Amino acid sequence: MTALYIIVTVAVYGLSRRAALRFPSPFTTPVFTSTALIIGLLLVSDVSYEEYTPAKDIMTFLLGPATVALALPLYRNRSVLLERLFPAAVGLIAGTLSTIVSSVWLASAFGLSETIQAAAAVKAVTTPVAMEAAVIIGGDPALAAAFVITAGIFGAVFGPALLTAFRIKDPFSRGLGIGTVSHGIGTSQAALEGPVQGAVSSAAMGFASIVTSLVLPWLFPFL
Amino acid sequence: MGEVKEKTKKAAVFCMQLALLTVLYEGSVLLVSYLHIPIPASVVGMLILFFLLSKGWLPVWMIESGAAFLNKHLAFFFIPIAAGLMTYGDVIQSNGAALIGVIAGSSVIGLMVTSGLSAALAIKSREKA
Repeated sequence: MTALYIIVTVAVYGLSRRAALRFPSPFTTPVFTSTALIIGLLLVSDVSYEEYTPAKDIMTFLLGPATVALALPLYRNRSVLLERLFPAAVGLIAGTLSTIVSSVWLASAFGLSETIQAAAAVKAVTTPVAMEAAVIIGGDPALAAAFVITAGIFGAVFGPALLTAFRIKDPFSRGLGIGTVSHGIGTSQAALEGPVQGAVSSAAMGFASIVTSLVLPWLFPFL
Repeated sequence: MGEVKEKTKKAAVFCMQLALLTVLYEGSVLLVSYLHIPIPASVVGMLILFFLLSKGWLPVWMIESGAAFLNKHLAFFFIPIAAGLMTYGDVIQSNGAALIGVIAGSSVIGLMVTSGLSAALAIKSREKA
């Protein structure tokens, strides 16, 4: 069955990629449409996520190497990156702090429990860091992972359109924002927009996770 | 014949490049667990590869087509992971709207602060120059 799950997932991805090229819209973002379709198919055919997990493990084997490979666009755009290091660092640190603070405040305003607030605080950074950081501040790592995925899909789907609505045209700043708030999933979308966006987004994703893991244990108790 | 040979060679190079990237990643996993660095292994691996390329210790052609392929299909690897959201059915049913509100609100704020500041500072420094 595992082979079948892999074939179906690859086919769904291929189809959703074509759909995104044919009908470009935030709602045809491949991560979003593919994930929705796969969840739908698993639910309809009564397959649990546990049964799908062996297939998931095989398919995600290359995720680590793929993230390492983001060094290539980073290297190719190194002159732009170095030139704008200072404004980028200011934007990234301020953005990371504001997304952490606003998520905790919003969660408490909605009356959500402290465990959920802690999971919300880590949502902007890549899953492994988010899970570790969540445990340190008293959150649930599995719930943190769910927040991370949702934030990533949100950023991939709405990030580019929101930036356009706010008249941010500069590819460098677009990539920086998407990588800072929606990690790898956002980066995968930013890379489709252009090489500068992809390179800056991958660098931002890395540095946002570093800033978050350093700052959060100090910051969270004050929120 | 020549064309087939050329294709086989390309495929072999491609696989070697994927293998090299995997070795870099697995090496970073070991390094991170050994040194207890609070940064994910994939980000450490990315920094190491960037450093090797910048120093010229690893020529670009040794990873180029494999890396470009993985970059292009990065979104694919997140799909099976994101499908894991289906296991949070009960949390989503009870608090779904509030959770979406929190994620959407704080993502929009973070996005605007990051991109807005970076764009504004870039314009300012250009005016100075």
